[in-house]
Amino acid sequence: MATPAREFLQEGVDAAHLDDAVDEVFRLMMGAPCTLIDESVTESRETITAVIGLAGAMSGACTLRCDLQTALRMAECMVGIRPTELDAMVKDAIGEVCNMVAGAWKGKHGSLAGGCMLSTPAVVTGTNYQLHMQQQEFRIDRNYRFEKHAISVSIICESIQ
Amino acid sequence: MSEIAALIVDDSSVMRKIVERALRQAGLPLSKVYEASSGVEALDILKNERVQLILSDINMPMMDGLEFLRQMRFLDLAPDVPVVMITTESSEDHVKEAIVSGAQGYIRKPFTAEQVKDRVLPLLDLA
Repeated sequence: MATPAREFLQEGVDAAHLDDAVDEVFRLMMGAPCTLIDESVTESRETITAVIGLAGAMSGACTLRCDLQTALRMAECMVGIRPTELDAMVKDAIGEVCNMVAGAWKGKHGSLAGGCMLSTPAVVTGTNYQLHMQQQEFRIDRNYRFEKHAISVSIICESIQ
Repeated sequence: MSEIAALIVDDSSVMRKIVERALRQAGLPLSKVYEASSGVEALDILKNERVQLILSDINMPMMDGLEFLRQMRFLDLAPDVPVVMITTESSEDHVKEAIVSGAQGYIRKPFTAEQVKDRVLPLLDLA
């Protein structure tokens, strides 16, 4: 008999839930919508990626990637002060946004809401890197526009119990 | 309306600032805001300071919000002070566990100042 989490997988993973989660977080915390687009974050520029681990009923990660200017703007919207560089506050802000997106997404799936835990955020900075999982049950990759900025959000599922 | 002191517990300094701003936007007459980045730090503050409101995240390193609540009750710190959890964890089980551990309210992140007002003011009899 399939576990509740497995039933979630069998019903089909709906990317729209991630879209709704992202838009909800950006509307409520930054006062601006986040709309789905095709273009991804430019690879050549320095990017910032926040990673939230998922464990329990589902193992995997939620990642949020953006460039420096986007990160500065997101932090400004959240805190009310425009940062001038990628400092601890900006990384904290990006980590928290990813945390809320992960929580909002898993909250939309009853089988995951209670049985899947979130890690504290990790933030990676650099250029031209990718997050790889050894095996994947599924992966959702979406790109969004926040004001004039591009953001990439991914849900990567390594395994489901 | 007398002013109150609040304790905000969250490992994110950004989130602590956002919560404080939401409290002020909700119209809370804040005289002092104490901040703690973990349950351990929060317990130390409560041993030395008086507060009238506590808002705490759940997922934190060293000591999570639920253990902080349990330790607070065990040590008889701030016995009559309302505690509201502000967290990304939104399942019914998490809410129940928070209430059993001693929380009087629960707010899911992301949140608006209006939601904070609706959850917090009644606990302080300021509605």
